[in-house]
Amino acid sequence: MDLAATIVLNGLTLAALYFIVASGFSLIFGLMRVVNMAHGAMYMVAGYVGYSVFEPLYDRGAWYAWYAGLGVGVAFAAAFGALVQKLLLGWMQGQELRQALVTIGLSIIVADQLLAVYGGTPRQFFAPDAIFGSTQVPGIGGYPTFRLVQIGIAVAVGLGLWLVLNRTKLGMMIRAGVDDRQMLGACGVNVPLVGVAVFSLGAALAGLGGVIGATAQPLAQGADGRFLLISLVVVIVGGMGSVTGTALGAVLIGLAEQIGQAMFPTYSVILTFVIMVAVLALRPQGMLGRA
Amino acid sequence: MLELRDLHVRFGRAHILQGVSLSVGKRPLAIVGRNGMGKTTLCQAVMGLVSISEGRIALGGERTDGLPPFRIARRGIALVPQGRRTFPSLSVDEHLRLVATRGARWTVERVYHTFPRLAERRRNGGTELSGGEQQMLAIARALLMNPKLVVMDEPSEGLAPVIVDQLVAVLRALPQDGMGVLLVEQNLRVATEVADEVAIMVTGRIAATMPAGQLAADQELQRRYLGVSVGGH
Repeated sequence: MDLAATIVLNGLTLAALYFIVASGFSLIFGLMRVVNMAHGAMYMVAGYVGYSVFEPLYDRGAWYAWYAGLGVGVAFAAAFGALVQKLLLGWMQGQELRQALVTIGLSIIVADQLLAVYGGTPRQFFAPDAIFGSTQVPGIGGYPTFRLVQIGIAVAVGLGLWLVLNRTKLGMMIRAGVDDRQMLGACGVNVPLVGVAVFSLGAALAGLGGVIGATAQPLAQGADGRFLLISLVVVIVGGMGSVTGTALGAVLIGLAEQIGQAMFPTYSVILTFVIMVAVLALRPQGMLGRA
Repeated sequence: MLELRDLHVRFGRAHILQGVSLSVGKRPLAIVGRNGMGKTTLCQAVMGLVSISEGRIALGGERTDGLPPFRIARRGIALVPQGRRTFPSLSVDEHLRLVATRGARWTVERVYHTFPRLAERRRNGGTELSGGEQQMLAIARALLMNPKLVVMDEPSEGLAPVIVDQLVAVLRALPQDGMGVLLVEQNLRVATEVADEVAIMVTGRIAATMPAGQLAADQELQRRYLGVSVGGH
């Protein structure tokens, strides 16, 4: 019983991280129809850049070391995303293959640069004392506090995204842009600028995931590919461009991974893809995607 | 107000607009013509939605051709496009708030006062409206931008006659706000009731321009250029 509950909670905390990363991917795809293959690179770059701010502060014993690392990592990813959209992808609006190739190339360059600068040693953040250590969870016992915080952050991200999309002018522009980009421009809205804002927001979410993920488990080379793949699977399963769909997809994939690893460790990797294939066969637009 | 000089638009080999020149002043101008004559392309070219290959477009003496649509919109041209193109994901109220500016002549309150039907439907989505309501919404969206010139592409298309009458009343009132009107219509009655002057478009050219009353009265002219007559359409 304890074991089952632990596995489910493990699945949910993993799902929380997947949701944070994949929601950014889904947001970018939703408005701009760009399959951002550099999304994993944005995750990784935020982790490393955040870490290089975190480490010296942590060594000096500064209490805000983790928050500073988080802030700088997320801000770096946001700025990087904005530049990518402004300088590269904005010129190839609507040319999906070209955008996919450019972002793949970009992620290769980023990964090599990170390897050159930071080397191959894994890095891990230490969460501040307030959210470090363990918490008693009924029915399970002691559970890492940070993992629970991770779920809280994911819920906050989901609510925040919902509010931005449904209650702000930027949200109206994003939804209108998904419907009819050309007409939105004719309404006096600077659509390319909205695109930069959305790309930056999506990249910031990848960056948030990067720092959170590197706090939960060590960050190493290859994380970019892993989180890009996860983002793809999650939004394919949940439905492209839908926040709720992304949450559903993340929960499903997170749980499947953890349950699979507990029950049939050898074949657990396959489970994720079995789910994806099943969804694609039965509902190609994703569980909550619009046809 | 709006000046078009020798405007050409080509899509690949197709030469859609073949040297259109016209000017819209304080009084409404209508463009009529059969299907496929280039009327919609003309509206899109004015709004910057298609690029022109030759010629020039100027609003109030300043050139707007070559600018992106959002800059043209900010210079003071608003489009009521063919097929309305309201946003399915936005409610009526969101459509209006998206474009509204404070303290302008047209405000969200004035729109709701002028179009009470939209006020009743303010929470409904852009696709849950009837054709007439969608058209009112598309017009309201354009008016809220408080443009110098509003370009309308077949606003009466697909509307019931009683709704068309309401539409005509709304359009006739626009010049009182100092708004220029360029109206593209297939419905000759709407065109001649709203506009003082009517231009006839034939295969990408303006074939003739005349006072609205003259075209409304001359059935021979209507048959020659449009293949229809008032009441026969």
